Amino acid sequence: MSREQQVLYEDQIQQVDQALTRMIKEAEAKCALLVDKDGHLITRQGFTHTLDTTALAALLAGSFASTREIARLVGEPEFSVLFHQGKKDHIHISLIGERTIMVVIFDDRTTIGMVRLYAKEIGETLRNIVENTEERKQDGLELGKDFSESAEAKLDDIFQDKF
Amino acid sequence: MVSINYAFKEIISKIVYYGPGLSGKTTNLQYVFKEIPSATRGELISLATDADRTLYFDFLPVNVGKIQGFATKFQLYTVPGQVYYNATRKLVLRGVDGLVFVADSQASKMDENIESLQNLKDNLEEYGYDIDQISMVIQYNKRDLPDIVSIDQLESILNPAGLPYFEAAAVTGEGVFKTLKAICKMVLDQLKSKKMEPARQAKPQPVEAREPVSVGAAVAQPRAPEKPSARVPNGLSEAAVEVPATPVRSTDKISTPNVERAVILEPEIPANVVVSDAVDERRSAREEHVEQEVVEERTERATMDGDGTDSGYREKYDVGHLPLTNDYSDFERKQPERPSGFTHAHDYNFSGSGDYSSDVPEINLKANLPLKKPQMAESRKVKGKKKKFGLFGLFR
Repeated sequence: MSREQQVLYEDQIQQVDQALTRMIKEAEAKCALLVDKDGHLITRQGFTHTLDTTALAALLAGSFASTREIARLVGEPEFSVLFHQGKKDHIHISLIGERTIMVVIFDDRTTIGMVRLYAKEIGETLRNIVENTEERKQDGLELGKDFSESAEAKLDDIFQDKF
Repeated sequence: MVSINYAFKEIISKIVYYGPGLSGKTTNLQYVFKEIPSATRGELISLATDADRTLYFDFLPVNVGKIQGFATKFQLYTVPGQVYYNATRKLVLRGVDGLVFVADSQASKMDENIESLQNLKDNLEEYGYDIDQISMVIQYNKRDLPDIVSIDQLESILNPAGLPYFEAAAVTGEGVFKTLKAICKMVLDQLKSKKMEPARQAKPQPVEAREPVSVGAAVAQPRAPEKPSARVPNGLSEAAVEVPATPVRSTDKISTPNVERAVILEPEIPANVVVSDAVDERRSAREEHVEQEVVEERTERATMDGDGTDSGYREKYDVGHLPLTNDYSDFERKQPERPSGFTHAHDYNFSGSGDYSSDVPEINLKANLPLKKPQMAESRKVKGKKKKFGLFGLFR
């Protein structure tokens, strides 16, 4: 398993956002999230104001990871699509490439079939965008020498010890 | 694996609290959640059993603020400590950037500490991680209990590599922040040393990995093996990590959702986890073929023949008595005769006098109607009313 850092650039995120917005419109979904397999939220589109997307991303990644292990135990390489059916809202999770999962939250205005159709359609587009990261020449984030001091100051400010 | 998002200008690192069961990992997180400003942290998610034993993980996002324009966030996780949760422990370890090994200082728990540490090394090796390459600190927890092992003994058994260690009593919060500050700083220092360059191929790992492993741009930062030369008189050891004497106050905090209480999620979740779909190209192709066949069959049955009849229905219904034909040549012959009393409009004699009653014959259309009068629906019949209306004196 690779240990390289995942770096995403603004133009990639914009392309991803456009693709997600188009998908939400066509499938009549509520919102869509793109989540790293480690639980980091990459981007989100749609109606997400009432959602704690940070926690959601971590939980969804955990859920996906656990079902991946279940798949391995039953002899499948992977479950590439998951569907959670609720009373009002439902969640469709699909694997994009190797490291990313796309989460679509929708309600009864649309159907699971529609969401699956458009999610599948857009999956290939997103995979190309996200996986092209490694091929790009990265400028590199230069962290100055005062990065450590700034970081220490921030940490001391937040983690104020009473002892 | 640190995630750098240039679009949102954020750096996210993952820190995992590891250790044997009931060593105080969740307690660490609960203390952090309670004590740090609410604007700097999110919600504490705990996936636990009824007995408050961690089932899957605890999760707490912490936002320390902007450093050089990048929002620096840490995602704190704990793992379930019990032995039989090893499968889920491995899942949580994925993508870890910093580790806190929480050891139970009690003498009776020494074997569990050793077993857990070995388990950590094994799980990291499965992922292709080298424990020496990852930022790690050790916390000797429960220093407030009576029957505890001395620090020297713990160090010799659990920390031969000389990693930074901290004494703690997580129930009171003692040592929790020191540990967390140290591991955060180590992770950030490692970040700085790598300078965010593209990943390079790693040196070959001794354990066979499934795919090529890359440990990042730069060579891993050398460990800080040196212990503090002088112990702090108050009994708590200081790590080798330096902290400024006077903390600088910072004003630019990025707000996160303000949550005042931890959420304990029960394993029983209302939503139904129902469907999972495996990608099987052969199966999907077969299904598509079957679906297509069904659609075509339906289409055939629905089509009409050229003469306007539906061959599908011919067997079902006897249409022989209905002369369905386009030949209307005998229409004239078949038309019903006009009633004898009917007079065409041009037969009227408009003499100009106002009195037409003697000229216009009485007509009883009901007797002469060839067609059966359509039956009105019961609901629409106006019962008890008989309408008589006159129209130019023709109808009575």
